[in-house]
Amino acid sequence: MLFVHEVHKVVGKAAAQFEDAYRNRWMPTLAEGSDARLVWYFDLAHGSGLAYRAVTVTAVRDAAAWYRLAERVKSGDLQAWGRDLDGLQHDAVGRIMTPLEWSPTLGSFDDIPTDPAEHEPTMYMEDTMWPFPGKVREYIEAAGNVYQKSLGAEGSQMQMHIELALQTMPGAGRYPEVTLMQKLSSLAPLIRLLTQDIPSEVLEPGSWMHEALELRDQWRSKLLRTAVWSPFQ
Amino acid sequence: MLFMHETHKVIGRQAAAFEAIYRSEWMESLAKGEDARLVWYLNHAMGSGPAYQVVTITAFSDAAAWETLAQRMLHGDLSELHSRLDASRYEVVGKLLTPVYWSALQELDLGAIPTDGREHDLSVFMQDTGWPDAPLDEYIELWDHDYWHFMRQIPPERMLLDIQACFQVSHGSGIRPEAILMQKIVNFSTLGNLLTSVEVHDPTTWPGSYMAKGLELRDQWESKLLRTSSWSPLW
Repeated sequence: MLFVHEVHKVVGKAAAQFEDAYRNRWMPTLAEGSDARLVWYFDLAHGSGLAYRAVTVTAVRDAAAWYRLAERVKSGDLQAWGRDLDGLQHDAVGRIMTPLEWSPTLGSFDDIPTDPAEHEPTMYMEDTMWPFPGKVREYIEAAGNVYQKSLGAEGSQMQMHIELALQTMPGAGRYPEVTLMQKLSSLAPLIRLLTQDIPSEVLEPGSWMHEALELRDQWRSKLLRTAVWSPFQ
Repeated sequence: MLFMHETHKVIGRQAAAFEAIYRSEWMESLAKGEDARLVWYLNHAMGSGPAYQVVTITAFSDAAAWETLAQRMLHGDLSELHSRLDASRYEVVGKLLTPVYWSALQELDLGAIPTDGREHDLSVFMQDTGWPDAPLDEYIELWDHDYWHFMRQIPPERMLLDIQACFQVSHGSGIRPEAILMQKIVNFSTLGNLLTSVEVHDPTTWPGSYMAKGLELRDQWESKLLRTSSWSPLW
């Protein structure tokens, strides 16, 4: 399974129509076939970054399924949808991603919900990292062995877990690039992270924060809130 | 057919090594199969933009061929080679392209693309990338009716560009809306005139011209002057 991750710069006045285009057209149209499913629809939380940004993640069975979908958008039954979307967003930046070896799985493709059932929205911290030249493999290994495990450890600074760990496929976005979709289970640690200095022990030699600097020093966090109808929460 | 367009931000001190890996190892690795070929290896001409940037375009018979190659790069027999390429650049930005409906280039005979690194003259391409603020389809149609048709009517002695291909980004693999023209420069004195001209294409004084009409659909594009390497399979 591959994932098409898109960041949409939405026209503010058309934000509701944009969301509707995904909820009532993209999601059900994909559900009629067996190539692709909408997985997440997120809004970048106002107050935490750029305004009117939506993030969508669409699962495709494989590259052949992705290509059939892309051709439908280019010149098939989804062309009109794509054309309408051009009027509802300034642009979208997409990349095609593959799960890391140690990534948790979302389960079977066929079990991805396709009905717009409403749920309580959920907060995610989406972290995207750019390892140093030649260091991506070491980084991925360390992130699995050290970082992922630390999130589940007692006394973890953050109460969140990785739902999906991805890297951008060569030729379909920036490389090297790793993105972690991390679901927050409690907001209190996030507020602490935002409002207090990082404890010194977290930065000491031997800590993930310290040692991982050998592998990368640039990343970006986005605070994303699922739409109430997003297939995955 | 699918085209993988990559812009490599190469580590300057390793520029020669990067090119050598592409020429001697990468191109050869692709040549062992039948469904992928390096098509263009282009250096961004110094003096016209960023330093040490390389653009490569690889053709695939289909999307499955791209996925197979990408997985070989990440986890398979090409991972070591891919790691060495990765270590000689800061980053690479890729996108997957398909030809627009009017593009002269639609399909390539992959078996006919040279893979032996044979040398030839250099050529220079003007790669134009446009980002319309109108629907992408309208922009592609404008290029067809008002640019491509117009450019083909220019007499050879006045011709600047040979539009060899026009692509759009396949859904989800880059920016939308975006379209790209690969234009071979066929007359360098005409290029000189273009670069030094002070003529302003004011839409109020050039009604009906492509420059004026184009402004109705976009006002942002980027031209890159890309010079093929002496061994680039196509040039």
